[in-house]
Amino acid sequence: MDKALAEFVEMLRYSDVPVTIKETVDAANTVRLIGYQDRGLLKIALSQVMAKTIEEHEAFDRCFDEFFSYRINPDFAPEEEIADPEEDGNGEENGNEADVLDRLDQGSGGINPTSGGGQGGGGLSGSPSGSGSGSPLVDLLERNDRTEITMTMQSAAGAVELQNIVLMTQRGLYSRRIMEQMGLNEANKELFRREREGDETGARRLSGRLDILFEAVRDLVDRQLAFTATGKSKQFRQDILKNVRLSNVEQRDFKHMRELVRRMAKRLTDLNSRVRKVKNRGHLDIRKTMRRNVAYDGVMFETHWKQKQKDRPKVMAVCDVSGSVAQVARFLLLFLYSLNEVLPKVRSFAFSGTLGEVTDNFNKMSPEDAIPLAIEKFGGRSTDYGRAMEDFKELCLDEIDNRTTVIFLGDGRSNGADPRIDILKEVKQRAKRVIWLNPERKSAWGSGDSEMLRIAPYCTTAETCNTLGKLELIIRDLLKSS
Amino acid sequence: MNNNKNWNCYVTLIDKDPAAAIEEIRAGFETAGYICDRHIATSIYLSQKLDKPILVEGPPGVGKTELAKASSEIFASPLIRLQCYEGLDESKALYEWKYGKQLLYTQILKEKLGDLLEGAVGLEASMDKLHEFGDSFYSEKFLEARPLLQALKSEEKTVLLIDEIDKADHEFEAYLLEILSDYQISVPEIGTIRAKNKPLVFLTSNNSREMSDALKRRCLHLYIPFPDTALERRIIQKRVPEIEEDLRNQLVSFVQQLRAQDLKKLPAVSETIDWARTLLLLHAEKLDVDLVRNTLNILLKFEDDIDNMNSDVPKFIAEALKERV
Repeated sequence: MDKALAEFVEMLRYSDVPVTIKETVDAANTVRLIGYQDRGLLKIALSQVMAKTIEEHEAFDRCFDEFFSYRINPDFAPEEEIADPEEDGNGEENGNEADVLDRLDQGSGGINPTSGGGQGGGGLSGSPSGSGSGSPLVDLLERNDRTEITMTMQSAAGAVELQNIVLMTQRGLYSRRIMEQMGLNEANKELFRREREGDETGARRLSGRLDILFEAVRDLVDRQLAFTATGKSKQFRQDILKNVRLSNVEQRDFKHMRELVRRMAKRLTDLNSRVRKVKNRGHLDIRKTMRRNVAYDGVMFETHWKQKQKDRPKVMAVCDVSGSVAQVARFLLLFLYSLNEVLPKVRSFAFSGTLGEVTDNFNKMSPEDAIPLAIEKFGGRSTDYGRAMEDFKELCLDEIDNRTTVIFLGDGRSNGADPRIDILKEVKQRAKRVIWLNPERKSAWGSGDSEMLRIAPYCTTAETCNTLGKLELIIRDLLKSS
Repeated sequence: MNNNKNWNCYVTLIDKDPAAAIEEIRAGFETAGYICDRHIATSIYLSQKLDKPILVEGPPGVGKTELAKASSEIFASPLIRLQCYEGLDESKALYEWKYGKQLLYTQILKEKLGDLLEGAVGLEASMDKLHEFGDSFYSEKFLEARPLLQALKSEEKTVLLIDEIDKADHEFEAYLLEILSDYQISVPEIGTIRAKNKPLVFLTSNNSREMSDALKRRCLHLYIPFPDTALERRIIQKRVPEIEEDLRNQLVSFVQQLRAQDLKKLPAVSETIDWARTLLLLHAEKLDVDLVRNTLNILLKFEDDIDNMNSDVPKFIAEALKERV
């Protein structure tokens, strides 16, 4: 498999197209079959091998166009990174490396805009004056072998792990590192030496070449950034979002968060929705039972039943949306919303003063509408856990059975009102389990008007939950043991 | 049509230039009355070369099943079809033992038992004697081949269509994995049965549920969307050749406009074809409001949709009448 394809696979993976090893092998076979010449055909063929859903097809198309607009002949010279300007629709500010390096040759002819025409020195290619300078980079530049320079640049890029570049702002850093890896310091010393010794032409020549090299490195970095950054920076951001405190997440990240949360909820339920149990009641499957019992001369030892039961947890989630937890509530509601999308039996409630059900809104509206509506409708009043408990009891205590999980999301600060622990106790007796998720740290529990210390004993688990990562862990446990 | 000739020409072409082979496949489909774009032809080509099944997804009525039928025609191979539904299990899809036959044979052979055990003294010796005959009741003679096994055992290359796989259960998907990746089935009593000729496998799905990753990994993924105007015109031209060109363009334009609306069920290609046939039957020369209103129930299958669209019909017709060649 060639390097170009490997890089393409990596780019796809960062863009949410999970290409497995088997699919990569298939892709390599496809490339062998079809070749790189017919770009349109290759795109169609590869998309069928590598992308397996409609969303993945979209991402694939985007990546393919982006990737192959840079690489025109990857199969001919993959390690030389030659980008052909022929399909130059990419409009990026970076020129291209091959061109820049070409100027190294041209530079000797004196036409070089970047070095300000300072390259007075004549034919450098065979110039003996530079050799033996003690610096490999200077030697390299003096020798002026484009392939060799490119190779050195590539290996330096590998050494500083350029493929890890994520953000635009890291460009300077990585360029510098690559230059240093290639021996910038020695070259600078050589430059000083020449200036000191009055070798003006030599010094100017070297500095001009260093400038060109720097530009080439810069292009290399830019290109790498363009390959991986789109997908990677998204992943980077999501990794950070997972671990940042929910209360600190900005509004503008809400959209990213939504995607992240939805995927999380989907993954969790995918993992767990496949459990099915064969019920030991309902209709007897006569045919299957007979077949199974042929060996016993028709005496029915083994029975087989028609009915199957999907084992999915029934969840009731109660979310505090009052002022004190408003920042977090948005995300907790978002998670509830996503859970609602993937689990059929989630009932969601919101409260600050009074409590009400929001399941219907969640079913009908997009989260951008449903969540602010829930906060507007039930939020804004001072928290009264006692009142909320009473409402909850009235609304749905009868429906809580031994397969129901009840999740409370709130800080347990009841403004001095009686939190009605007795109702919570009743709920716990009926439910399979009661989980209390509190955005506050455990050390703050019980301080001030917090009733958490009284509440916690009546919960199966009471946990601090202030990042998405933690939320995921808790919900995973919930689904696993159900 | 001389199908055999067709088939042979594919075999030779596939070893040539891929682009030409794909074009040839596309042309082959066209002669078989199935108009397809390059995507579809490419995936047929790839599935032949890489020996991979094709998972076809797309809205209902875009010709997913039809693709398998057309393939069976142009490759001149028999089509074996397995319709999936909830509760489908391996005894209906893979194989089953012929229990009746087994029982019958044991009854008939009861009398022979004495002869067989002749000379054997004692229980142990009789048992040994019996063991010599092997598991003759669990041999291929008593194996009832169901569609999947039929496809593998077939002497000639077959086209295997596993229709609406999304309707089947998760377990069934798991049964399929062995066939899809290795073209073989393991029967515990007999062993592994390998395909004599690897069949061309199509799986279709309406996306009523997500397929498992394991299944997707083993397949090429082909998504067939609703055709664009040009393609749909060609389809109608192929399937209803008697219809006048003007009317054809008008009706395609009308259907395309309908698809842009919010409907419970969008009209599919098969419905466009039905409508074209209807208009032909009614000797229509061009679309007019009454005609369309009276025949709208062919395109739209929900009362709500028909009610909602009724008022827009004149607007769509005006737009459709602007269509010229």
